[in-house]
Amino acid sequence: MDWKQLWEILSAADNVPIVAMIPLLAFYMYLAWKQAHANDLLIAELDGNAALAKTHHRKAWPFKPGWAKEVHVWPFLLRVEFLAAIIVTIILMVWSITLNAPLEEPANPNLTMNPAKAPWYFLGLQEMLVYFDPWIAGVVMPTLIIVGLMVIPYIDTNPLGVGYYTWKQRKFAIGTFLFGFIILWVSMIFIGTFIRGPGWQWFWPGQTWDHNRLIYEVNRDLPDLFGITSNWGKGIFGALVVGGFFAIGGMLVHAFFRRNNPKDYKRMSLLQYSIMMTFLLTMFGLPIKMLLRLLFHIKYVWITPWFNV
Amino acid sequence: MPEKPLPENDPVVSKSLAPHYVISMVILMATLFWALWDEDFGQRPWKTFQHEWKDRYSTFLKTARSQSRDSQKEIEGNADYQKLKQDYESASQNAAPRIKEINEKLRDLSAKILAVQNVFTDRRAYVNALTYSIETETSASSKQGKQKDLEQYKKEKTTVEFPDGKKQDFDYEHLEETYNDLKNERTQLSAELGELIKPVNERKEKLDAFVSEHMVSLTPTQMAGLQDKTEAWTPKILQINVPEANIVDRCESCHMGIREPVMLTAASMSFKGKKPDEYARAFTSHPEPDLLKIHDPDKFGCSPCHQGNGRATTSVEKAHGTYEHWLWPLFARGNMEAGCQTCHAADMVLVSNDVGWTLSDGKDLFRQRGCVGCHRYEGYDKEPEDLLSVAQQVKQLEQEKKDNFKQADDLMKQADKAESNEEANRLNERAIALKVTNSKLELRIGQLDRSTKSLLQDMKKVGPNLKDIRLKLNKNWIPVWLKKPSDFRATTKMPNFRLNDEQIKAISAYVWQSALADPLPKHKPGNAAHGKELFETRGCLACHSIGEGEELQGGTFAANLTRVGEKDNYDYLVRWVHNARERTRPYCPYEKRDIGPEDYKKKGLPYVFDLGHSRCPNDGHELQVQNMTVMPSLRLSPQDAEDVASYLVTLKKQEPSAYADASFMDDPNLKAEGKKWVRHFGCAGCHEISGLEDEGRIGTELTIEGSKPIERLDFALLTEIAQRGGSEPITDPDDQARLPEGPAKHPWYDQKGFFEHKLAEPNIWDKGKDKPETEKLRMPNLHLTKEQLRALTTFLLGSQENPLPASYQYRPLDYRRDIQEGWWVVKKYNCMGCHQLIPGQRTSLMSMTRYQGPDGQEQLPPKLLTEGARVDPDWLLRFLRNPSLNDKDTNRNGVRTYLQVHMPTFSFSENELGKLVRFFQALARQPFPYIPEEVPVLTAKETEMARSLFSSTAAPCLKCHATGDPAHDRTATAPNFLQARGRLKPDWMERWIIDPQAISPGTSMPSGLFKRENDHWVFSGPTPPSFQGYDKDQTKLLVDYILQLTAEEQRRVGAATGHARAAAGSSSSGAKPAGNAGHGMPE
Repeated sequence: MDWKQLWEILSAADNVPIVAMIPLLAFYMYLAWKQAHANDLLIAELDGNAALAKTHHRKAWPFKPGWAKEVHVWPFLLRVEFLAAIIVTIILMVWSITLNAPLEEPANPNLTMNPAKAPWYFLGLQEMLVYFDPWIAGVVMPTLIIVGLMVIPYIDTNPLGVGYYTWKQRKFAIGTFLFGFIILWVSMIFIGTFIRGPGWQWFWPGQTWDHNRLIYEVNRDLPDLFGITSNWGKGIFGALVVGGFFAIGGMLVHAFFRRNNPKDYKRMSLLQYSIMMTFLLTMFGLPIKMLLRLLFHIKYVWITPWFNV
Repeated sequence: MPEKPLPENDPVVSKSLAPHYVISMVILMATLFWALWDEDFGQRPWKTFQHEWKDRYSTFLKTARSQSRDSQKEIEGNADYQKLKQDYESASQNAAPRIKEINEKLRDLSAKILAVQNVFTDRRAYVNALTYSIETETSASSKQGKQKDLEQYKKEKTTVEFPDGKKQDFDYEHLEETYNDLKNERTQLSAELGELIKPVNERKEKLDAFVSEHMVSLTPTQMAGLQDKTEAWTPKILQINVPEANIVDRCESCHMGIREPVMLTAASMSFKGKKPDEYARAFTSHPEPDLLKIHDPDKFGCSPCHQGNGRATTSVEKAHGTYEHWLWPLFARGNMEAGCQTCHAADMVLVSNDVGWTLSDGKDLFRQRGCVGCHRYEGYDKEPEDLLSVAQQVKQLEQEKKDNFKQADDLMKQADKAESNEEANRLNERAIALKVTNSKLELRIGQLDRSTKSLLQDMKKVGPNLKDIRLKLNKNWIPVWLKKPSDFRATTKMPNFRLNDEQIKAISAYVWQSALADPLPKHKPGNAAHGKELFETRGCLACHSIGEGEELQGGTFAANLTRVGEKDNYDYLVRWVHNARERTRPYCPYEKRDIGPEDYKKKGLPYVFDLGHSRCPNDGHELQVQNMTVMPSLRLSPQDAEDVASYLVTLKKQEPSAYADASFMDDPNLKAEGKKWVRHFGCAGCHEISGLEDEGRIGTELTIEGSKPIERLDFALLTEIAQRGGSEPITDPDDQARLPEGPAKHPWYDQKGFFEHKLAEPNIWDKGKDKPETEKLRMPNLHLTKEQLRALTTFLLGSQENPLPASYQYRPLDYRRDIQEGWWVVKKYNCMGCHQLIPGQRTSLMSMTRYQGPDGQEQLPPKLLTEGARVDPDWLLRFLRNPSLNDKDTNRNGVRTYLQVHMPTFSFSENELGKLVRFFQALARQPFPYIPEEVPVLTAKETEMARSLFSSTAAPCLKCHATGDPAHDRTATAPNFLQARGRLKPDWMERWIIDPQAISPGTSMPSGLFKRENDHWVFSGPTPPSFQGYDKDQTKLLVDYILQLTAEEQRRVGAATGHARAAAGSSSSGAKPAGNAGHGMPE
């Protein structure tokens, strides 16, 4: 276990946000879950008690007659928010006083650093480049992510769970969010920060980042495994496999969604439903492709002259 | 939660957040103040430095001032000072009343002028404005009207009230006149005042100059000035900004003492009784102020020499660039001189006071140790490249010549067919022009042929010629030597190649089988005892050393000969000692083979090859007719050469026959394998080897090695170890001892660490690596000492691609270029083994026991500090060509026949002769080309006068100077006067006669022979009566006489003073008796 190496990564000024993010993420997950749990209990109670539901105030706190059911934003919300703003300002000031920008040497166009890493918030994207060609990972996927985030309000037909934490009322939305944020986004940044060393090789935390390390790793394309050599063959085969993934995956998700979210399913139009399916399956496609690469050394599934998947 | 009683009111609405706000606001304010502090001090640590500086420097100046006041008092007690002071005081008293008077007048005048001026300027402004409007007026009538207005205005009167209350009316003209008169009067008075004050000021200046000249440090007044300046200092960034070189250096923001006019040491900048701390060390002044004089910091800044990050001001680490993200950290203390190399790469010797010796050593080592054999380095060993380019030029010119001839032929043919006469003439003329061009080309080719000859002569190899080893070596010794050369000879240049037994066998077999097997003339054994004496006195030890360890004597330039008898054949040694340049066979670079007698025979030519017969019998191209060694010929007679060789073969620790049999070297099967390894290890870089004459260098080019980014230097498996420090990968105790800083304690992942480790153990990066034999690192172990390693590291660190503009590189085009080029030759042939060329430099001979004491010192070769000013360059050229200055009897010194050390014959090429002569001229700042001074022919009377000086008993010249009379010359310790003509420059002779000590300290030529009288040099001894009324320099007369001296005249004078010599010792004249033996110095 190379503690020095680990410490160097953890203490690097560039990595402060991602290192801080891990415990913060855990804490806020815990906090959110606690509140969601209390709210879920309250919801159950109010569901069974119609009278109370009429007068009960906004919190999962014990009921007390006379307490306002709703309070005004000004001053009751803003005074708390302003306090939070002050505290954040303090944190930012202390941070900027104690840690200067980690500037490096004058750039040398003849010599790139190794490993050359993007800023921490882009490391997820950089990690994606390992699994897809630059066109897919650098252009298509980021566009899909942004568009996907933009369409959420338009395909979210669930009217419940707005303004308070809850799990039971929004299992699907929260589950999808956690998958997308933690599994795809945070964990990929984590891999990019802590796992990827010189030569963008995979180093487990605590393993020395040895610049001379050599590994034997041959990646193959999926068509090659099936002995398909012609370009046409590869293109068609890949299209079939990807199409198959979307077809079979679509059917599975469809069955799952209808069973668990019948109300939402009924509320959604065909357009809404198909958009959701497309994004959801594309999102699932990413970790599947990652696993194919990391565990089975499969480089690309679908090879065309224009893009590779 | 349920246990807690619920509050009456909703906490969201009713709970006060005041405490939270108070606390966070307090913290916020604290952070704000922290930020302000950080802005002012935290990010500006240099402010603390400047506050400390104020404290410490003022304290220092206070003490220094009182000391300086004491020494000033001491000086003021001096009689000269008193006299000057009196002068000053009397002058100022004399002038005082008149000065007072004028000053009063001036005061009055100024008041008057002011009064007039107030009125006048106002009116003049109006007049000027009106004049302008008249000038620009287009209508004639209004022009006239305005003109009238103006005249009207000028006639109007205004009143001026003078300071004494008097009032007066003036019109404009009168006012102007009055104003100008007053001003003139003031100018006159001021001029008079200046004249009056001038003598007073002059005396004051003299007085001050006297004080500052006699003070060791600054005067109290100057100190007080410094103190005021220091105390009034407000912290600010001090920056040197040179936009054209992109230099921005803020170093002096902390290092405030660097350019102070007093010498500041760390001790003087510490508080009393305390050890020098970080601040004290930062405040010292630059240790070599002389360097700053040459390199004005306002032009050069700091970082071009020292490196580091000149712009950084936030921390010491950042400013010094000693953190991972700065590419050019401050050069370490031991490698400081690397900075010189960045601009002075073209200089071979670079010394200023104490600075530059390490780097110059590094440069020497790089050449002497044969680094150039494998690594290309701009400027080093360029003959092979030049030869190639000359050959190409010749080829090109010859092609051009051929084309021209063809074209000329065509033109003539066309001319024959031309329709008109004019056309024919025109074509013919063009053909003729081409032929003229061709004759020019031929001349150019001839020139290039000559430079080929020069280049072939200049081309040297670090190691011996391996074509001769069959003739030269004890065969069985070769494998033993290859195993580890430093075991046989600890100081050898030959590095250890870590060869395994197979490689040794193959390599020795190849070199043995590829060597020449020509017969060598047999010699009879000589007289070893005489040989020993010759060896020790002729000057062999200026380059060679003898004895091992503590007993080592002699120079380190060439091989240590302690065990030479174990390896060398007697007959070969005789040839070598007699003339090391003598080759067994000439080599033809055109045919790429050695030329033998059979080739000469084919053409019916005698088998003779030397510098005069250097054309190939087969193709007429220049041959390599010399061994490529720098070893010169000492012009020993054949008999002496036999004696020296006989002595050398007695130098051994074991018998040559004791070496194990190595007959495998004749196995032809090993030859191919051997050639592979010889090529692999680049042996041909340093040795001449048959079949590998044109081998290129096998190593990487090092010209800009120091600016390679650290990532390009392969630390291999040791990268992590180097980055973390703490453990030293070099385990071999010998190699570890080479590290200048000892085993690594700190991280050493930088250029310095790389070079040091690589040089200490060149295969260190193979550690832990699994490689086949052919891929292992080839660089051999140079068995360097700590100091040598540091010198080479310094040299490499400074070998950088310089980002400064070209004007900052030291590549002069004037006489300094001759100096630069000359040093390369001087160093190449180790001239400094015998001669002193830099004041204070020690030659190899100087430290030998033989040359200690006055008797020994007089046997030392001459110092050449002012050679260029002393001798005629034409003579120097002749001398360097043949130092015996004699065609028949060459076994002698041309000038100093009394020295046992002989100036050897180096067989310099024309190229190098030119460089050397120009070098000496340039070193003494002599104009080049040299136009000899006309020596006036003396009249009979003048000759008589000069003779009387020359033979004066007070200064008997001929007592020490040789005369050519063998009986006399045995005791003579100075050169013969007859050699002066054509050799010495008259003006130098004059200066020499006046003060020889100033030119060559330690010479036994007496000083004070002449004294200054009535602006002329006159003899200090009793002047002969014939000098009555002679009003010219007597030194000049004497020099002219000496330059016209004939052998006969000298004999006559010598005979005449022969009996006077005894009396010379008791002479009571002012001149010191010249009886002491000369120290082998000039004349």
